[in-house]
Formats: sequence, C-alpha cells, structure tokens
Amino acid sequence: MPKTPTTFYIVLIATVMLTGATGCSKKGVQSAGDQTSQPGTAQSGGSGTSSSSKSGVGSFPDTSMQSGSGGLKGLDKNPSEERVGAGEERLGGGSGAGSGTMLAKADPSGSAGRQMDEIRAEQAASSAAGLRDVYFGYDSWTISEEGRQALGRDAEWMKSNPSTMIKVEGHCDERGTAAYNLVLGEKRAKAIRNYLVELGVGANRLSVVSYGKERPFCNEHAESCYQQNRRGHLVVRTGK
Amino acid sequence: MSGMKLAGAALGTVLFVAGAIGILESGAADVFLEATRPDFQKISLGVLGIQNGGGPEWLGGRLEEVLKKDVKRSLVFDLVDLPSLGIKVRDVGNGVGNGSKTVFKQAADNGVSVLVWGKAALKEGEKDSDVNMEGFVYDSGSDEVVGGKRYAGSPSVVRLMAHRFADELVFRYTGEPGIARTKIAYVSAQGAAREIYVMDYDGYDSRQLTADGFLNLMPRWSPDRRFLVFTAYRDRNTQDIDMIELATGKRWTVFSQGGLNITPALSPDGNFLAFASSHEGNSEIYRLDTRTKANQRLTVNPSGDLSPSWSPTGRELAFVSDRGGGPQLFLMSADGSNVRRLTFEGDYNAAPAWSPRGNWIAYVCRTRKEYKLCVITPDGQKRMQLTTGGGVDDSPSWSPDGRHLVFSSTADGKSHIYMIDSDGKNAERLTFEGTHNSAPAWSPAS
Repeated sequence: MPKTPTTFYIVLIATVMLTGATGCSKKGVQSAGDQTSQPGTAQSGGSGTSSSSKSGVGSFPDTSMQSGSGGLKGLDKNPSEERVGAGEERLGGGSGAGSGTMLAKADPSGSAGRQMDEIRAEQAASSAAGLRDVYFGYDSWTISEEGRQALGRDAEWMKSNPSTMIKVEGHCDERGTAAYNLVLGEKRAKAIRNYLVELGVGANRLSVVSYGKERPFCNEHAESCYQQNRRGHLVVRTGK
Repeated sequence: MSGMKLAGAALGTVLFVAGAIGILESGAADVFLEATRPDFQKISLGVLGIQNGGGPEWLGGRLEEVLKKDVKRSLVFDLVDLPSLGIKVRDVGNGVGNGSKTVFKQAADNGVSVLVWGKAALKEGEKDSDVNMEGFVYDSGSDEVVGGKRYAGSPSVVRLMAHRFADELVFRYTGEPGIARTKIAYVSAQGAAREIYVMDYDGYDSRQLTADGFLNLMPRWSPDRRFLVFTAYRDRNTQDIDMIELATGKRWTVFSQGGLNITPALSPDGNFLAFASSHEGNSEIYRLDTRTKANQRLTVNPSGDLSPSWSPTGRELAFVSDRGGGPQLFLMSADGSNVRRLTFEGDYNAAPAWSPRGNWIAYVCRTRKEYKLCVITPDGQKRMQLTTGGGVDDSPSWSPDGRHLVFSSTADGKSHIYMIDSDGKNAERLTFEGTHNSAPAWSPAS
C-alpha cells in the first residue's frame, strides 16, 4: 500500500510557517480585485455552440502594445548622459527614467497563514474519517477494481456522515506537460465523483479540483513514486 | 550573491557538457531555423574591454562580462575572442589614441567588423553612489568613434546598463530593439506552494510576485509587459484566472466561473483573453473580449481542449486537444472555425507556442517515452526535434526576436529553466536555486 501523505502535509505546514505569513487577510489575493472582480462560482447554463456570459468576469486594463525601439535613443558620436533606472524599461507603467522600483515586492501578508490553518484542519478531519484514495494507471482515468472497492467504503462513510462535504482532488505523476496534467487530473477527480454519485452519495456534497502534477505526494523519478502521485485524494472539507 | 550565481553557472556548464540537455545529432545541423533571413551573416564584433576609470575592481569586469554574454546571445553578432587573435586588449590603454592604431589595424586584418571599448567609474556621493559607464563603437579598422553612449545610475543597475548598451548595438545594426532587457516570468516552488516570479532574461535579479501560499501557475505577459495573467487557486478549491500589475503588485481576478480555468493567453493586441475552462462541463477553449466582457466558446467537443497559443497576427490559435485519444496540436481561426489537426507523429504532442515571426510552432513531443521539444511549421510540412536526452521538457516560450526558446526541464533532476537557440543549440541553464522552477514565459520586447 502506498504510504500516507502525512509527511507531505508536515512538510507543507512547516514550509508555510517558514514563509512567515501571520496575517489572515485576503489582501494579497484580492487586494485590487475589490472593485473589479466578482468572486463566485456561478455556473452558467447551457452548453451550446457558443455562450456569452459576463458573470465571473473581472475588469481588464488596456494592454495594447506601444511599439517602438524600446526606449533606445541610438548611438551618438558625442553622447549626452542618460540616466539608467530600474523603471526605465517601462515594465512599471510609466516611462519615467529612474522612476524607482520596477517590480513590486510580493506581499507576504496574504493568505498563506490562513491556507496553513485550513489545510491542517482538512487533514485532521480527513484522517479521522479514514477515507481511502484511488490510484490510476499511466495516462488513465479509469477506476480499477481496487479503486471501486476503496470508493465503496468511502461511500459508506459518507452516507453515515451525511453532513460532510467532500473534495475530490485529482493528481498526476510528473510525466507529461503541466497543462495537460491539469486536464487529466480533472478527469480523474470527475471519474471518482461520478462513481460516488452512482453509489448514492449526493452530488451536491462532492466538489472536484485538479492539482495536475503541482502537488505531488513524492518527488522521486521512479514508478514507485509515480503510482502514488496518480491518485484521486478525498478530503473532508472543513471550511466554506 | 553574484559569486554564488557564477558558481552555479559554472556548474551548469559542467552538467551541460555531461549531456543534460542533449541536442539532436542527426539532421538538426543541416536545417537552419531562419529567425530572420536564411542568409543572415553574423557581424563579427570584438570587445576591447570596459576599463575601470576609478572605482572598485569588479565594476569594469562586470559590465564587460554582461555585455559580452548579451552580444553572444543576440545571435546578431559573432563575438570574437581578441586575445586569441594575438590582439592585446590592454594596449588600448586609457582611451583610444596613440598606440591603439595597431590594435584597430590588427582587428581589421582579422576580419573584425566592429570594436567596442568603454570605461566605467563609481562616484561615491554623500548619500548615494553613482555608476558612470561610457561605451564607444568603432567600425572596421578606423579608430574614429562611430557612436557611443554615456550612462549614469545607481550601482544596482550595473547589469541593466550593460544590457541597454547591448540592445543599442543590436538596434544600430539590425533596427530591432534587442532582447537583453527582456524578462522571463516563471513559477517557483516555495515549499509545497508555487508562486510567480520574474527574472531578467539571463536568469539574474529574480523577484517574487505572489505570496499566497498555494498554487499559482502558468504566467503569460500582456503585450505591453505591464501585467501577467495566470491561474490561481482560490481557497484551494477552485481555479481563477488572475491578473497582476508588475509595478504595483495590484492583483485581481479576471475570470472566476467554477471548474478548471487554465492556460490563459492574451492576444497580441491585448483585446482578447484565450484560455481553457471546464465551467460548462469538460475543458474547452474560450475567447473573452477584454472590452465587452463577452465570452465566446471556441471549441465544442467532449474531449479536453486546452493551451491556446496566438499566432502573431492574432488571426489563428494553436491548441491541444485529446479528441483523437492522446493530446495533439490543432489549429483554428480565432473565431473557432476552420479547425484542423497539425501533428500526426507520436501519440503525445502538447504545450504549443507560436513563434513571434509566425513561421514555427514549438511544442512538447513525446518520443521514446521522453518529453522533448519539437518545432513544426504551421502548414505541417517541416518538423524537427530540438532536444534529446532524459527528463521532462515543458512549457516552451519564444524570445521576442524568435531566435531563442526558454523552457523547463527535469534533465538535471529537479525542474529548472533553460534557454536554447531556435535550432536547439547553445543550451544555457538559467535557474539554480530552489527545488522547482517551471512554466517560463518570455516577455515581449519593450
């Protein structure tokens, strides 16, 4: 049996603590979005040939290119002095020479602390529940017989704990592209969700998310590790 | 810091010699990937040196080293090693005058077309110190200056001065703005979290842009280089597409309907955001009008569609679909019509990147169970493999001049970022710190 992901979470928690974020505000995540974004996961209806929807769409600045010679003034036989500042590349918006910082520093007072607390709570609730993970073949999202047995027991637990909300995480091994693995991870998570629904678990209790190959349980370049990373991981949601 | 970096660079060279990033031996050398013109002749250029005109020992040497590397990477110039031609660089002495005529004649006799000489000084002020750099350019044999630059700035922008001078050289001889001041956005692991960073195109001066402790993936630049779009996980449970302004760190969500929201890419004119989303079921490609907010679904297919990459005209998109089983590259018009399959070789082709000149599409191809970089022409007529060896290569992204690609590879064990010429040669490792660096995106030129 593959080892439990406990060590992974210990490492994660330690790391999050090391980043030193103590604040729990969402400032770092959505600071500028207050006036622009519309958080929410409203499902838009229909799946026709095209759909037009403005919900869940934030504002866009004008980002069209100002083409030119990139602020170069050309060589000169008797050059006059040019002031070189970090902001002169116009990465920072203004073309003003020497206009200070070109890249803002990351705001560490973001949600790292909150993430840590929530991950810890989820992990505790999930190990208490004893939910079993499901493992997949290479490039595959088909649930094996062993996976069906594991999900059968998971479904029993969910039925006897009807108030719980479950998140199904889809994970992949390191092979393949990051982008395609996100699609593959979603296929795995949805296959699990669909099977749990077949077993009688309410669809409204199940959410799916794909982490692709971005949150591996182990990091060795070997099949023994790959097979642990090709998994659907069931988590008891403790937050909203 | 810079010492560590240099040690890292040396290590990278050793690893490369050991064959970490292989170059396909057969055939590749015969096929020239024309970034500009097939008959482009490199201009031979020698750097006489950037001499210290007062200041710390490292100053002139630093400027000279950065300048030489930029000149070499430009692929516009052929950097000549003057000492190997018996040209004593130091003879130029303190300025170009008596005794330096021999140097110019020797260089001309050896076919060197352009010579560069400069000097640098550090002026210590009461509050701030100022670096001054002068650079002068000489054409073919003459000791008369054809042009020069004088820069002043704080010691923190020394590398930028050299980059700027290199871009002036490229601009003078090609009319292009050069790439020495471009940037690369990428993803770097902080423990189990993945955050967005930006570094100079040569791997120096990296800055962290996000710090929310979870996953931020797949950054892409706005055409004006002021913003990045990327995938972020809100509360770890849903994916949003976010935008961040580099100068201020201001960040907000631009698309947040539930499901997978990945691989965002702004059109060359900035008027559309193409991306993949599963908010209507499975992963499909959408095109969001950034002015009207109308979101048009471009693909209709029960399979996964993702990774849209704009042609430089904005009229077409390359994308990935697994409608035939494994992932393959497809092309379509920007309104979703005229879909046709582009790749037929191999059972896994993904992560397309349309070159800025439009003539090639770089992508990840699986051969013999390894994930390597390939390029193919948009008509599918020519295809070649750029990298070989072990490890997973991913996320190719073109330099704005079309002469280089940046990508991530696990060839050295951990995932790091590498640069290659567009024909696969001259692999250079750019990242050395951390446990995971991936998803590089090369900025447009300024």
